[in-house]
Amino acid sequence: MEELISKIEEILEVEGLDITKKFTDYDEWDSLCSLSILAMLDSDYHITMTGKEVASFDSIEIFCKEVLSRQ
Amino acid sequence: MDFLFKDKKISGILTILPQQSVKFEDEIENYSFSPTKCMKLKLAMGYKEHRIAKRGQTSLDFCEAGLKYLFENNLLEKDDIDALLFVSQTPEYFMPCTSNLIQGHFGLKHDVLCMDINQGCAGFEVGLIQAFMLLDQPCINKVALMNADILSAKVSKRDRNSWPLIGDAASITIVEKLGEPNIIHANIKMDGTGALAINIPAGGFRMPCTDETAEMVEDEAGNFRSKDNLVMQGDAVFNFVLREVPPMIEHLFEQANITKDDVDWYMFHQPNKFMLNKLADKLEVPREKMPSNIVENFGNASGVTVPTNISYNLGDELVNGSKKLCMAGFGVGLTWASIYMEVGNLSFNKIIEF
Repeated sequence: MEELISKIEEILEVEGLDITKKFTDYDEWDSLCSLSILAMLDSDYHITMTGKEVASFDSIEIFCKEVLSRQ
Repeated sequence: MDFLFKDKKISGILTILPQQSVKFEDEIENYSFSPTKCMKLKLAMGYKEHRIAKRGQTSLDFCEAGLKYLFENNLLEKDDIDALLFVSQTPEYFMPCTSNLIQGHFGLKHDVLCMDINQGCAGFEVGLIQAFMLLDQPCINKVALMNADILSAKVSKRDRNSWPLIGDAASITIVEKLGEPNIIHANIKMDGTGALAINIPAGGFRMPCTDETAEMVEDEAGNFRSKDNLVMQGDAVFNFVLREVPPMIEHLFEQANITKDDVDWYMFHQPNKFMLNKLADKLEVPREKMPSNIVENFGNASGVTVPTNISYNLGDELVNGSKKLCMAGFGVGLTWASIYMEVGNLSFNKIIEF
């Protein structure tokens, strides 16, 4: 989980990510972040998601759990 | 679908680019992104400048300029052209074919096959495969394959998803019979269930252009475009490319019974630097063997990116010698196609401006 969170922090360029928040709660969130998340999911976790799916998770924590559960 | 062709070659490639080059920085104010975010976008996607045709210039104009250059410089004889293919999504008219117009303009012989093909990102591979098939006929010895797209006429300048990456260009590739044996492997796949992932909604017969379709509307991400404009579902296309392209290339290796190290250059379609780097990594091919500098220098002109890539990055290398190329195109349709062949000793391989 920590590894995934630090990857998200890197993409969003934020420190101390609040995982109870949604991606879209962050001002930094944009289409480029979304694409970077998709690329990271593909290369590091071999998972395919759409940008809409990623943005629709109720929290980053739920997103992370979903990613790891698919491992 | 796998193809096998024998005893055919590419003998010359000419890329024709607009003179006008527009810098990414000069267009930032059109986007709803802050300058900082725009610079981040520029860095990640590899945006620098792109070539944009003058208003009113069409795909046909660029093809005619290219053919005129070849005729005047004795690089191509009019009477030698047995087939004229025009691959584009920006034709002159709905009817007639743009290739017929070009044939008429130059007064080419009547004993010729003119054919327009509606293809985009995979247009170079689809065009080459069509040219190879035609060359199987005894009466066809030389094919002039024209790829051209003037996307700037159809993309909204306030759409940061598409405008910064597109460019206008045309290319003419001469394909002919080879006097000695060689083998070319190719494959092609289609998925029409994703047909609208890259789409221009209005302007055809289903939805003719009206004042209503020309109305600019803001999308969720703050991009402005009308139904007359090209719209691309960026993430769907990205996922499609990462899902389908690597297995296609692996399959091409199996077809040709080669390994990835046998390929000298991976000359792929140029959607953006980000996607090409991901593809190279996924295929475990060194990024240096897969040039990704076309979008940053000229923009993505759909089916013209592979010839532009070859002319720009391998210019003299393929005039003075010969290399094994793995070419691939993927996008609108959805269509994805790849070709493995030796290309070299070209009589020309260069870029001209029009």
